[in-house]
Amino acid sequence: MYPLFTTGMIDSNQNLLYGLIIGILFGVVLERTGFGSSKHIAPIFYFKNLKVSQTIVSAIVTCATLIVIASYAGWLDYTQVFIPETYIWPYLLGGVLFGGAMVMSGWCPGTAVVGFASGKIDAAVFMLGLLCGMYFYFDIYDSISDFANSGYVGRFTISDLIGGDIYTSSLLVTIFLGAFLAIFMNTMKSIRDKKEKQ
Amino acid sequence: MNSKDGYWNPLVSGVILGIVLFISFMVAGQGMGASGAFSRITAQITYLYDSSFANNLYVAKYLGKGNALANWTVVEVFGIFLGGYLSAILAGRVKQGIDKAYNYPTYKRLFFAFVGGFIMAGATRLARGCTSGQALDGAATFSVGSWIFMLAAFGTGFIIAPLFKKQWGI
Repeated sequence: MYPLFTTGMIDSNQNLLYGLIIGILFGVVLERTGFGSSKHIAPIFYFKNLKVSQTIVSAIVTCATLIVIASYAGWLDYTQVFIPETYIWPYLLGGVLFGGAMVMSGWCPGTAVVGFASGKIDAAVFMLGLLCGMYFYFDIYDSISDFANSGYVGRFTISDLIGGDIYTSSLLVTIFLGAFLAIFMNTMKSIRDKKEKQ
Repeated sequence: MNSKDGYWNPLVSGVILGIVLFISFMVAGQGMGASGAFSRITAQITYLYDSSFANNLYVAKYLGKGNALANWTVVEVFGIFLGGYLSAILAGRVKQGIDKAYNYPTYKRLFFAFVGGFIMAGATRLARGCTSGQALDGAATFSVGSWIFMLAAFGTGFIIAPLFKKQWGI
């Protein structure tokens, strides 16, 4: 029965070893897609190349489909899968700050590690900023913890929101959202391309 | 599989990434993360310098097992570094440099890289994760919060992007 770790099939040391291997695979995929350079990441915000959104959307749809198949077949216990719990207001503000910071720096924490490994000085400086920012957050956490824990709705999935189960509503809505994002991005890119030609 | 710029087609990359993410859920019961490792590294460094930091409300939960670095995501992020380095070396892409438009001042680019990192740190703490641990993992497991985060992040990105246009020469 899966997940192997949460159902006690492997111990925590084995889990860490697999974690290292999974991280290596993740790093290889990120580098091979071009995310070791912020020049391949930043253009998403100008609808110039769609690498970031194409990769994210196809990864989400692929993984979501496999999770539903594995749950339906009885291999995976979906209730044992860790899903980040939802805190509505901090997620909204966190998202806004995150988006601004991503445009400003051209990196996010995962891609910066690959950029750093590829020799990018801006990635190293970004990572230093991350560490300092973490310290600042710890320092002020006492005074903002009320907000940071506001809008709490727990483990809250699409099927909890609109009814149905993960086989129907969750997967269908995810595919719909993915398709919507893909169409939106393609439309914006073609508008931009047309403008460029003029 | 390679497109003409020497990188994988992003749709193919996405499918492979989705499979790796699925394996991660099947093995560890959680998806890949990144920001958590930076948070834990900061907590551990600070704690080594000043052990009273263990009383900090946020750091305390990391030090439950004695060492904030004894954690799946920390090991996994070390793997990202190894995998990224290995892949870049094999492709001949390890090269010291700064990603920016050629005529954009270096000090400005590094300033924005630092400030962006600083702001993003707090953003990931509020959002309990980043593009990997929140957006990707959560959306693939149908979490509503992950879509809130992702749409807020990209929406804001599109709105303020014109301010940083010169940085990329776009």
